[in-house]
Amino acid sequence: MEHGPAATSLSPPTERIDLPVPTLLPLGDRALLIRFSTELSDHANRATIAFARQLEADSPEGIAEIAPGLVSVLLRLADGADFVRLRGELMLRIGETVDAAPGVEHDVAVRFDGADLDEVAGLAGLHPREFIARHNRRPLRVLATGFAPGFVYCGFHAADLMLPRRESVRPMVPAGTVLFAAGQTAISATPIRTGWHVIGQTTFQNFDLEATPPTRLSPGDLVRFTEAA
Amino acid sequence: MSAIAITRAGPLTTLQDAGRFGHLADGISASGPMDQRAFHEAGALLARVASTGIEFTSAGLAFTTEGPLRVGCAGGQFRVSVNGNPREWPARLGLNESDVVEIRPGPAGNYGYLRFNLDCDIPTVLGSRSTNLAVGLGGWKGRALRAGDRLTFGAEAAATEAAPPPPPADGPIRILWGLHADLFDAAARSAFARSGFVVSPSLDRMGVRLLDPAGVFRTQRRLNLVSDAIVPGDIQILGDGTPAVLMRDHQPTGGYPRIATIVSADLDRFAQLRPGTEVRFQPVSLEHAR
Repeated sequence: MEHGPAATSLSPPTERIDLPVPTLLPLGDRALLIRFSTELSDHANRATIAFARQLEADSPEGIAEIAPGLVSVLLRLADGADFVRLRGELMLRIGETVDAAPGVEHDVAVRFDGADLDEVAGLAGLHPREFIARHNRRPLRVLATGFAPGFVYCGFHAADLMLPRRESVRPMVPAGTVLFAAGQTAISATPIRTGWHVIGQTTFQNFDLEATPPTRLSPGDLVRFTEAA
Repeated sequence: MSAIAITRAGPLTTLQDAGRFGHLADGISASGPMDQRAFHEAGALLARVASTGIEFTSAGLAFTTEGPLRVGCAGGQFRVSVNGNPREWPARLGLNESDVVEIRPGPAGNYGYLRFNLDCDIPTVLGSRSTNLAVGLGGWKGRALRAGDRLTFGAEAAATEAAPPPPPADGPIRILWGLHADLFDAAARSAFARSGFVVSPSLDRMGVRLLDPAGVFRTQRRLNLVSDAIVPGDIQILGDGTPAVLMRDHQPTGGYPRIATIVSADLDRFAQLRPGTEVRFQPVSLEHAR
């Protein structure tokens, strides 16, 4: 479901983001990383997504692929790209203000019956019912994709829902597992190993090889979690 | 219609083309040949070459043919025979009905390639026929080829491939300092560039773990890093201090500290180093690497 800015929507209107000055780092000799921060923050993440969108809309010569992450944008260079010239071109664009268009909204219904739900709620000092209500209170932004096919990180929860990852890694969780840690909720779209808390399961499928593109959620989109009937 | 019936396949024998590019944001790395140079060397042996070939591993491969087929073979040093008659490696084979091709382990290399003059009947997945074993996607039903699989071919390919430049000289594997090099102190960086590492038996298309006999990273403390993009050739230091080189089926992002990245011109050569081989790393400038 997609809402324009005029629709009844929880999306904020287009916002202006002051870009922090990023660090430009070669990643090997075929890629360049534009890193807005070495720590995850709402501002650095919004800047990363907005800058990646701007580059996609108006791409300097020599870029073969643009992949935004949590706090940095990967640029894979085309064969024969001029590293120095591209670096110069990017330097001209940083330090600007960019417009971040409101994200597309998605509803994700979750069956909150994960193995770690009670423990997670307990650590937050909440009854599981209360935790679920708090978890779903407001939509989360898709912070990043790319860790695994269709996998998304969504954030951020309020500070009192901050929990570290688990001490041990679970061997495999199935596609559609809803994970919780570090002030974020993540959704797996393929079986993965994870050190995050398992809080539930969704039928929302963010990876479909028959579709173009194969994933539905993009960085900056809004995800409204609801409780599955 | 021509076909090959695989009668013996080592582990991790896969279909590969140049790679599945453009899907990092979807969570899919490019895959493609572990030794790209050798893949192209095999292709350049044929007048007409299809985009998709077979990558096999050090245990070799055996197959029988149905119908005529031209095959270019290169990569590492393997022993190949047709109907029991040995041929030189690399090899250009003109095969006919019921020929038996045996590829046996040779003195060097982890990966060899077969390229064909005919297009194979394999659907593309997200624009590529490369197998991504980490995800189980593309190639032959997303998995490695094994004995009993029968690969059928269609029309002759139209493309040609130029011979790749000769491989870079032996010697240290060249690196660029990595995304997190600044998190390693000068002593660790200097020890990394000075010490010998050894290729461990734990290697696959996702990554190659290294032994660290000098203990360069033995006391490496655990770092809590935000995930950033990974590129092939990144050398990351795992939580227990094990150095690991990320290869073609790497996960697209990761949170282990990366001290260096192998330059693209040397990644093919590194991929061919067998377990037990000593490897040294030499820092170079970006200008040199390109």
